[in-house]
Amino acid sequence: MREPLAAPTAASAPHSSSGVTYGWLLGARHLPTDGLESLLLSLAAIVVAALLFGGFLALQGHDPVAVYQTLYLGAFGTHFSLENTLTQAAPLLLTALCTLIPARVGLLVIGGEGAVVLGGLGAVIAGAALGGAPGPIGTVLTLAAGALAGGLWIASAGALKHLRGVNETISTLLLNYIAIALLNHLVSGPIRDFSQTLKAQSWSIPDAFMIGNIPGWSVHWGLVIGLVVCSLLHLLLRHTTLGFSMDILGGNRRAAQMAGLPIGRLILLACFLGGAAAGLAGAIEIVAVHGAASESLVVGLGYTGILVAFLARQNALAVILVALLLGGISASGGLLQRRFDIPHAATTVLQGLIFLCVLASSAFAGRMLPRRSAA
Amino acid sequence: MMDQHTPAPPEVAVVDLCKSFGNLRALDRVSVEFRSGRMHALLGENGAGKSTLVKCLMGYYRADAGQILVRRRQRPILHPRDAHALGLGMVYQHFTLVPQMTVAENFLLGRERLPAVIDWAAEHAALGAFMARMPFQLEPRRLVATLAAGEKQKLEILKQLYLGRRFLVLDEPTSVLTPAEADEVLGQMRRLTEAGQLTVVLITHKFREVMQFAQDVTILRAGKVAAHTDVAGASESGLAAMMFGQSLAPEKSGSSARTAPPDAGPYLELDGLNAIGDRGTRVVVDASLTVRSGEIVGIAGVSGNGQKELVEILAGQRNPQRGAVRIAGRPFGGTRRELERYGVSLLTEEPFANAAVRSMSVMENLAFRQFDRPPLAAGGFIFRRRALRPFAQALIERYGIRAGSPSARLETLSGGNIQRTVLARELSREVRLLIMQNPCFGLDVAAAAEIRRQIVRARNGGAAVLLISEDLDEILELSDRVLVMAGGRITYETERSSADRYEIGRHMTQGLARLSA
Amino acid sequence: MSGTFDLGWWGVALAIVAGAIRVSTPYLLVSLGETLTEKSGRVNLGLEGTLVMGAMTGFATSYLTGSPWLGMLAAGVAGAALGLLHAAICNLPRVNDVAVGIALFLFGIGLAFYLGKPFIEPRGPMLPGLPLGSWSDNPAIRSAFDISPMFFIGLALAIALQWGLKNTRWGLVLRMAGESADAARAIGLSVDRIRTLATIAGGFLSGLGGGFLSLYYPGNWNEGLSSGQGLMAIALVIFARWSPMRCFYASLLFGGASAIGPAVQTVGITEGYYLFYAAPYVLTLGLLIYSSSPSRTLAGAPSELSISR
Repeated sequence: MREPLAAPTAASAPHSSSGVTYGWLLGARHLPTDGLESLLLSLAAIVVAALLFGGFLALQGHDPVAVYQTLYLGAFGTHFSLENTLTQAAPLLLTALCTLIPARVGLLVIGGEGAVVLGGLGAVIAGAALGGAPGPIGTVLTLAAGALAGGLWIASAGALKHLRGVNETISTLLLNYIAIALLNHLVSGPIRDFSQTLKAQSWSIPDAFMIGNIPGWSVHWGLVIGLVVCSLLHLLLRHTTLGFSMDILGGNRRAAQMAGLPIGRLILLACFLGGAAAGLAGAIEIVAVHGAASESLVVGLGYTGILVAFLARQNALAVILVALLLGGISASGGLLQRRFDIPHAATTVLQGLIFLCVLASSAFAGRMLPRRSAA
Repeated sequence: MMDQHTPAPPEVAVVDLCKSFGNLRALDRVSVEFRSGRMHALLGENGAGKSTLVKCLMGYYRADAGQILVRRRQRPILHPRDAHALGLGMVYQHFTLVPQMTVAENFLLGRERLPAVIDWAAEHAALGAFMARMPFQLEPRRLVATLAAGEKQKLEILKQLYLGRRFLVLDEPTSVLTPAEADEVLGQMRRLTEAGQLTVVLITHKFREVMQFAQDVTILRAGKVAAHTDVAGASESGLAAMMFGQSLAPEKSGSSARTAPPDAGPYLELDGLNAIGDRGTRVVVDASLTVRSGEIVGIAGVSGNGQKELVEILAGQRNPQRGAVRIAGRPFGGTRRELERYGVSLLTEEPFANAAVRSMSVMENLAFRQFDRPPLAAGGFIFRRRALRPFAQALIERYGIRAGSPSARLETLSGGNIQRTVLARELSREVRLLIMQNPCFGLDVAAAAEIRRQIVRARNGGAAVLLISEDLDEILELSDRVLVMAGGRITYETERSSADRYEIGRHMTQGLARLSA
Repeated sequence: MSGTFDLGWWGVALAIVAGAIRVSTPYLLVSLGETLTEKSGRVNLGLEGTLVMGAMTGFATSYLTGSPWLGMLAAGVAGAALGLLHAAICNLPRVNDVAVGIALFLFGIGLAFYLGKPFIEPRGPMLPGLPLGSWSDNPAIRSAFDISPMFFIGLALAIALQWGLKNTRWGLVLRMAGESADAARAIGLSVDRIRTLATIAGGFLSGLGGGFLSLYYPGNWNEGLSSGQGLMAIALVIFARWSPMRCFYASLLFGGASAIGPAVQTVGITEGYYLFYAAPYVLTLGLLIYSSSPSRTLAGAPSELSISR
């Protein structure tokens, strides 16, 4: 490490010895030129994935063009399918933040699934405790309880990382499974509504706390909550000193130390906010869709959220667009199944392919920038 | 194993070697003869072409034109394997050893052909026999991670000899060694050349080593051979003249003499600092020192004696186990508010790795110290991005940072400009405590001189300056007081007026025996 | 020993031991595979997807061909293919192996569920076990000691890998790629190739682990087959500090922990069933907390691994 000052080559960036960061994981984030390149790369990745998926379908004997047409129809083609898409996209807006916000400080968190579950549990328990409260207040408090539960869940992983150096990817992964086990345990006994015999579910929250649909649409207000949260977060991350501090930390931890930034507090805050967003999504599922907690909270919202975050290159505004896209893919699953007898898992395959292609595309980032001359 | 067939070590020559990288002419018709069984020094500033030359020899680069002759025959060297086959080997500046493997495993890994199943008993026996013939010995079962820097350097050299290489290029081999270790290593290498076992090319920038150990010296300047001479007929000043093209007028005493007596009380105080290093051993041991406003305190020492960790403590990148840091008498915790209140500026080594974010723009990097104050922030919370550009533009002009635009990513800048960016950021505020570590490393002469001027200016303006450097000349030139750090301790202190280079050098080696591996 | 049908608490102990052996086998296979991968400097979080894909492929192949051993082979090959995919993408510059692992996890599971739809109902031929308990009349003991040969294969593999890492050229080269890629490149090794081969091998073993699940225990194919074994193996490798033999012991430990839930059910404890279910995850998390330290890298971790730094 005594060689004359030279910027490490891109290939060696992930292995820099003085302070591993995931800064490069975030890709280009705010610069106009790099933003354009990022966008193009993501689009290219989607196109490639679509082609591969088309090939996959063709091998199965389906007509890819017809399938894609149906996919479009099922996602955006009709008023009904658009509503479906928006409904699917709504929680993704929030669960993506569970990966996105910690990524800004250099953490790779995949605990969205667990945070959603905790959010649902928090909402249900608060809903029951607040029994007699007036409707709107009850709703707000129920949502807040869910957000709080999810926030604390992920923040604990952040604390483990900061205090004990426990890798946050693994810890949040484990916390996912612990959360699911906790859900199953509570729903099968302690908070169970035994009058429901169809499946095990918790007691319901008061009807007054439920939120309805946006007038004229069959889409619940959770969508608006998601849009508002994403926008606010974007403002926070990009236009506040707090957001800039997070950028520095995520870019180079040692530089952040040198600048006197409160590293621990930033990590905890980022994890809490991310977990709170996913927890809010779980609470919204209760308050807007199910009314009670059950295993229908565990449908991969968290994992799809990870994909949304990566595809959006960790940009909170891009999350909105990407969530719509992925929501659309999910929404069309039913139509695909009915028309082509394609199992619903096909949408997961497509999402996985997109994810892989997006990751592979980061290898091409920076090719459009002028090259530095060799030392 | 050492090749017993050809009695004499290789003689290597390059003829009219050319190599360019884009517009940069790294080597311009360079011709050098490295005679068999001699120690040949290669001198030159950073960027003169020394490392390009040897990399061409070793097959890492392919020369654009010219020839390489080994034993008087022209040889195409297109790949390191070709060089190795001809018996050419190189010992690098950074260690190529695998820390978590043993000495023996590291030896074996360099071999061309390893058996599928390794008979460790036989291998250990063979290694033992090999090392008995060598000037240095190492215990084969030791983990490389537990070796000291000097031992690692010896292992690197032994590895080359083990693999039968008899033409060795040593690239700044003593940069991490104490004067005593350096003398031992170079002395042994010289002895091996005299015994007709090796031809050695020594890349160095230390005149003392050239004068003491080398027999021939070639000086490169801007990609061309500036001079070639026998060491016997040369002098240090003569070498300097050939290297820089003018007589080295030492910028000593005059410009950096203290202009005002320092204030009475200490501004920065380190009190019994102790720290554990990355390997779990004590790297800073009971370190105490004071720096007063208006004085420059220099810490001399060989790299790897705790300086890096000491600066990390001051930069908030490492927690001390025991001890305290005080500024103006108050405990210092490295928070943002304190950095602002006490006017602290830090220039650590490797600023790109330690003090900047490569994927952020130049203007964002320039804002690290000021982003939460006007004009860049409103109410301490809102970050006004639009104010970044004019803020950055002013600094870019004042410090001569060459960047495509303020919004260019920092990683697109050259190393020197990255250094300037960090410098601009740190020095452009009111500085009352300046902490610098190897600030001029890797910079060209003009930039280094500029930084030294800045340091003196800061001191003259009343700042307390702590300068940590491995360049003893730099320390002696700038410091008002000189400290020595060895084995994690502050082992010596002297005023500049009574500073004796050899006394200081002696203290740089003491305390190492007490440092546990 | 005379055969009594109700062994009471001895039955619980027996069930735990038997369960430990049985449940540990997929952990063992997957963790050995991941040890190889991580020793070379890559982390493959997609093992869950690989495991599930292997399970589906193995089951389907066995059903379609009538040979469970062919099924196992197919399971391994499917795992190896996914391992190859992981390695190929990670070999590209600037790609983060953790993220690729997550993507493969999703992709592998999706693919397995998609292609495996037709195989959920039918029952195909299962892997035979070795009837090591035939000396007893007690059916509980008999079934407890009906051990799959895959367990012994796994054990043999652990011993072989432990020896091989220190005493063969491949072992040395593999460790070098995981400790110092620069040094490996300096002596002319292709680090990418070493890591690719290691990841393929890891995928193969994970596929085998999946095949075990669908072809032996629990011995069917459905979408709830795996409960995170693939991911837990990652933590297991860390817990075992990248040593194959310690992977073996740790697998037994985790297997035992997983078996506690069903085992205590036999003596009538039904409350908190799901909490026992969480036991392995909690155990793993606890061990991770215990063995991690903010200042030092995990002892024994290959230096090139992204998650240990």
